[in-house]
Amino acid sequence: MTETSVILALVVVTALGFDFTNGFHDTANAMATSIATKALTPKVAVALSGILNLVGAFLSVEVALTVSNAVVKIQDKSGAPKPELLADGGKALLLIVLAGLVGGIVWNLLTWLLGLPSSSSHALFGGLIGASIAGLGWAGVNWNGDGSKLDGVIGKVILPALMSPIIAGVVAALGTWIIYRITLGVAKRFTDNGFRWGQIGSASLVSLAHGTNDAQKTMGVITLALIAAGDWSDTKNIPFWVKAACALAIALGTYLGGWRVTRTLGKGLVEIAPPQGMAAESASAAVILASSHLGFALSTTHVATGSILGSGVGKPGAQVRWRVAGRMILAWLITLPAAAIVGGLMWWIGDLLGGGLAGSLAVFVILLAAAGYMYLRSRRTPIDHNNVNDEWDEARTDERVPAGVAN
Amino acid sequence: MHNVGFALEGAWKVLLAGVILGAGLPALFALGIRSLAWGAGGDAEVHGAGAGPAANPAGKVLAWVLFAVVLLGVVLGITFIVASGFGKALSFEHVFPTIVDK
Repeated sequence: MTETSVILALVVVTALGFDFTNGFHDTANAMATSIATKALTPKVAVALSGILNLVGAFLSVEVALTVSNAVVKIQDKSGAPKPELLADGGKALLLIVLAGLVGGIVWNLLTWLLGLPSSSSHALFGGLIGASIAGLGWAGVNWNGDGSKLDGVIGKVILPALMSPIIAGVVAALGTWIIYRITLGVAKRFTDNGFRWGQIGSASLVSLAHGTNDAQKTMGVITLALIAAGDWSDTKNIPFWVKAACALAIALGTYLGGWRVTRTLGKGLVEIAPPQGMAAESASAAVILASSHLGFALSTTHVATGSILGSGVGKPGAQVRWRVAGRMILAWLITLPAAAIVGGLMWWIGDLLGGGLAGSLAVFVILLAAAGYMYLRSRRTPIDHNNVNDEWDEARTDERVPAGVAN
Repeated sequence: MHNVGFALEGAWKVLLAGVILGAGLPALFALGIRSLAWGAGGDAEVHGAGAGPAANPAGKVLAWVLFAVVLLGVVLGITFIVASGFGKALSFEHVFPTIVDK
């Protein structure tokens, strides 16, 4: 076993780890509303979502090798790695990818710990951008595209992130409003029961679309690493084992369920009733599918959150906790730069140790330590399928009340 | 800022499709539930004092027709995911959707 193949193995394991965090971070996007309205029990919801993610990941046979081309310049147009990065047995490229993945995972875990639904794609892109800046300089990043199409960090990441929650929110608000208008005066046993079914259907569609969209990104990254290390040469296809491993990783992650994030989305933002849940998930599914059809890349997380907020705005008399929403939007804004800083730092540490096996191992060990620490922190205030639906305000008794406030 | 132009161009299309599918289909579903309640009669809907309206089989039929339309929309959605995964696309050229090569 050569040095390169050990580094390659680290990259593959880390990439699958990212895929796993991607799964449990995003369970909430599809299932938070169904869990909150008790249309499905928490366990059944995550199992359904996991299976649909697995199926979705296998359905995505489209070549996703060029996925990172939108933001960083480490590949050419066909998806093959840039030759100058392959001089040293591909180690230069592998280190950038490894550092970028670590940046994405660390940020995903931190936002999960805080219960914030941040975008996994932003975390991945942020990590890669940071590692590329550290490794290749500012010119290593595709900031604004070449002007011929929607491209670059601005076109593929920032603008869609600004627009997609608004679009989803408008659609969900409109849907919610119409539904309540139409079913005005209908007995609750009809509306609640019916909309629960509608909700399960639309949430399933979101899960399937998530599997197709998100697992692809990791498949592309792993295949890129394989090509860099000289273990694969076909830029038109992805090895079957890569597809299977990524599909399993995202499905297992989804099944584990990111309960902390699910709680925020399902209970924290808005008190969701079944008609709102159905409107929110339908809006998410429609916006995700329509935009991927039109090549308008966006984050499932941003869409789902926008939809849930919209369903709160659209229901007459519903209350939206804007403070929670504000915290979340803040997390969105810093996701990309924060993951970039971690990615850049990891590259720098790896490079300091020679950029070879020692550097990669050090980066990997740092990842394990950070992940272990955050897991232990999460056990202090565990949230799981038992308490995911507890009343939001009761759970916040630890909140500081300024002295002298009468209540 | 060419990217802003491209993004806005994509955004209004997504918004349009989102409103039609993401708000329109749930609205049809809601109409279905309303018909179901209408078909059941009695206390299924708010009514004046005394006994509620009699059950009406037409309501039930209409409800299931509406649910079928919604289901069709969902099936189209799934077909779309699967088709694009296999390098195909849905074409609405002949009004009814057909699967074509990309």
